[in-house]
Amino acid sequence: MIEIKDCVMRFDDKNALDGISLTIPEGCAYGLLGSNGAGKSTLLRILSGIYRPTSGEVLIDGETVYNNVKNKKRVFFINDETVQFVNMTLTEMKNYYSRFYDSFSEELFEKLHKAVELPMNKRLSTFSKGMKRQAAVICGIACKTPYLFLDEAFDGLDPTMRIIVKQMLIDAMLDNNLTVIFSSHNLGEIDEFCDRVGLLHSGRVVFNRELDSVKGNIVKLQLAPEKPVSAEDWEGIEILHTETSGSITYLIVKGDRDRIKEKAMNLSPKLYDEIPLSLEEIFIYEMEVLGYDSSKLGE
Amino acid sequence: MFDIRTDGKQPIYEQLYNGITGLIASGSLSPGEKLPAVREIAKKLGVNPNTVQKAYGMLEQKGFIYSIPAKGSYVASESEAADALQKESLRKLREALSSANASGISKSDVLRIVNEIWDG
Repeated sequence: MIEIKDCVMRFDDKNALDGISLTIPEGCAYGLLGSNGAGKSTLLRILSGIYRPTSGEVLIDGETVYNNVKNKKRVFFINDETVQFVNMTLTEMKNYYSRFYDSFSEELFEKLHKAVELPMNKRLSTFSKGMKRQAAVICGIACKTPYLFLDEAFDGLDPTMRIIVKQMLIDAMLDNNLTVIFSSHNLGEIDEFCDRVGLLHSGRVVFNRELDSVKGNIVKLQLAPEKPVSAEDWEGIEILHTETSGSITYLIVKGDRDRIKEKAMNLSPKLYDEIPLSLEEIFIYEMEVLGYDSSKLGE
Repeated sequence: MFDIRTDGKQPIYEQLYNGITGLIASGSLSPGEKLPAVREIAKKLGVNPNTVQKAYGMLEQKGFIYSIPAKGSYVASESEAADALQKESLRKLREALSSANASGISKSDVLRIVNEIWDG
């Protein structure tokens, strides 16, 4: 289990993380969402023991990660940069990891390598961006760590590779109770694969919940009320967005489903429809409330 | 192995649940038939195995399937599955009727449809 308590990460005079508290259970696939600069990569670097948090506590299975080799061997971090390996071949990179990670499995590496067909003895500097990612991903999975963090590493893979990697992760989740955290801008992918999601904004947590409850809690209403809708009609329900088109009002509302319906029925609408939202739509509306939205382009 | 489309809006476990109850209702999955393993469905659809497990858990709780530890999940016997299907149909009927009521459809209109369906 990952426990983050009041974590602050300060760089110069700016807090990249501004008091984050999060708990991520074992065996889950966690989607870390947020705008650029929200603090996702910083958080993953802290979890990997690369940064020591300025204050607060970050524990994996009850122990810190920074300067703790025992715990560092239990996490694998794949990020966008493979700079330190460009002069190595895949064989050398694999050997480097297998020396550090006691849980490394040659057998699993062979199996994964067969699926991707990368050259073993060419320098990584000759690899395309996608190939470098594949190399990092197969090394990461072969290390068989109980925790795997992918910082946008999924985004650069082609659709076929993404399926292969997902299948590898499914096996690891079922066989080793792997906990995997993805940060990604591909919300469709997170929507399909994650069972929990967290949204960060300006170094703080906006929400951290089961994906199904995020979806069950926010809904688009399409209704034709008898008289114009006012805020008092929706007491106790958060309205994220309203739009009117002719006699039809569209509302994005957040709250208990039954209560939403009850309030809507009080307006005796001629038309009433609840439309579920995709994760991408939820992300956009939540960010809009935080003042981060595309309409600013027009100003 | 069956296929279930995910549309990105309904929670995936709900889509799996509805998909599998549909297959049981239509007889495409017969009583006693073994369901694909969680791993198999997760890999085929590229979804989280915990989500598939959640759908199976719900199906078991409602009596559509039963599981034998270390062996797998099976479609329940005819009478149990029929019972579960009836309960599910009643639940959906109730939901549809309340939304019909909310949108102002009259009781006589509903009864006319009931008569049409039951008496041809």
